[in-house]
Amino acid sequence: MRGICRGDERGMSAAVIRVGNISKTFGPVHAVRDLSFEVEPATCFGLLGPNGAGKTTMMKMIYARSPRDRDCGGTMDIFGFDPRTQELQIKCLAGVVPQEDSLDDELNVVGNLMIYARFYSIPRAEALRRIEALLTFMELSERRHAKIRELSGGMKRRLVIARALLNNPRLLILDEPTTGLDPQVRHVIWDKLRLLKRQGTTILLTTHYMDEAFVMCDNLIIMDKGEAIVQGSPAELLERNIEAFVLEVDSNAMETASNRTLPAGVRVDHSHETMRLFSNDVDGLRAVADTLARGHHIIRRSNLEDVFLKETGRLLNEIQ
Amino acid sequence: MKSSETPSPPPLHRRLYSVWFRHMRVYTRHLLSNGFPPFLEPLLFLAAIGLGLGRYIETMDGLQYVVFLGTGLPVSAAMWTAAFECSFGTFIRLEFEKVYDGMLAAPLTAENLIVGEIIWAGTKGLFFSFAVTCILLLFGIIQLPYALLAPIVGFLTGLMFGCLSLYITSFVKTINHFNFYMTGLLSPMFFFSGIVFPTSELPRVIRPFAELVPLTHSVQLVRAVLLSDYRLRHLADLAYIIIFIAVVGWLAVRRLKRRLVY
Repeated sequence: MRGICRGDERGMSAAVIRVGNISKTFGPVHAVRDLSFEVEPATCFGLLGPNGAGKTTMMKMIYARSPRDRDCGGTMDIFGFDPRTQELQIKCLAGVVPQEDSLDDELNVVGNLMIYARFYSIPRAEALRRIEALLTFMELSERRHAKIRELSGGMKRRLVIARALLNNPRLLILDEPTTGLDPQVRHVIWDKLRLLKRQGTTILLTTHYMDEAFVMCDNLIIMDKGEAIVQGSPAELLERNIEAFVLEVDSNAMETASNRTLPAGVRVDHSHETMRLFSNDVDGLRAVADTLARGHHIIRRSNLEDVFLKETGRLLNEIQ
Repeated sequence: MKSSETPSPPPLHRRLYSVWFRHMRVYTRHLLSNGFPPFLEPLLFLAAIGLGLGRYIETMDGLQYVVFLGTGLPVSAAMWTAAFECSFGTFIRLEFEKVYDGMLAAPLTAENLIVGEIIWAGTKGLFFSFAVTCILLLFGIIQLPYALLAPIVGFLTGLMFGCLSLYITSFVKTINHFNFYMTGLLSPMFFFSGIVFPTSELPRVIRPFAELVPLTHSVQLVRAVLLSDYRLRHLADLAYIIIFIAVVGWLAVRRLKRRLVY
């Protein structure tokens, strides 16, 4: 297996989440297959992958929303608790932001949070105090009496994050926290999450935005069809799994530029309309680019998205 | 890394209470539109059917017809409200609003959530039968203080139909399937469980079926309570109700859990 968890090298004691050889099947479908990883305190760990890769399922197994396979023989340790037998203890320590907002439309912003505070048996006065602080933190104070229907997508998302923080969780679990949100809101959410991390909260998130994974995650797994494909820090993944630079060319422009041989060490990735030439040698790519008509190409550094597409393929699977 | 500052989960009764409280809070949010119809419906029913029909049918089973009909209505109201709450209501919370996705991230187990739902169905049964009882008192059909016991039977009826409806819901894939439950099971139960006419008037072959369904026992019990006319067989009715709640409740929890945690 490529990319053994970094926690292994640093010693076992530090991790707050320890997942060892966990599998999950739904009938004939392997949603998660023999997955192992560790998350250290006050770090952000990302589960990445195309739709149907098993990210959400893995996440749900951690907070006991989904039981792991009885016969998978794996182990899970979340703050010293096993989700199979100690789900309530884990839920007390974790805050969860599900993929869909799941707010009560009938209640207003504060009403939603008050109901939720009751699930943790937080006394009323204390709940009100925390709610005010969280609404300020998530920049929702002016909306405290708004109905849920009056909130924008970004506000709802921030409210769900506030809800997940009511119990001062030591682990924050977020399932695609910024899907469908505009760039301003995404950046606000990222800032808040980084602040929480700095204050000691461990963060586990799923995303299929590679830029989000790059800025947020200390470590991540790219999953496909339930399996871990690559695992490591974003910098390591870039270093290990992909050439440093890429020349993106319009496919037609490349054809007219003759069929001459490419410099050594260039890997070609040809999708329908675009050709991508990957290489660690930026000068070699420049030389190719110089032979092309202007305006049809760009040289840039490779990013996580390139790693992602290289590892999980460009073609859509049957559930995307 | 087990830490000493690990918060301990709320005890069972507080977890169940928090589920109940959530439903209560959402329900009382629209107090006028939710609280008024339970009073209006029996009023219309008694006016239209009880009094209108009552001029043609004077007595039934030794009672004035409006008394016969009226003393059955507290439990049918409890049945309908609990059944709607735990079929359409639960299904919408489960599949459309995704309310349970949020709730199950909090320190609640799926079992807590389902049992809380059943207790809430009982509470609605209590409230709806109380509303009917008030109207019956207003019409002078029944007298205080016996009347005050009727909502307790309504509570038990609500629990029964909460359990039954959640069990049905655990099978349902699309919301339209509930039409079969409503029209195929609950409507016949309303007509043939001794509310509109005594089950003893049913053909001999059908009578055992009437004895089998839950509403019949609620009707017999609530009528006994409201008329303060207790017989030994009412103990059997009570036993039926308690066993029904335990058995169907257990089935509902077991099956619906698989829709929540999988």
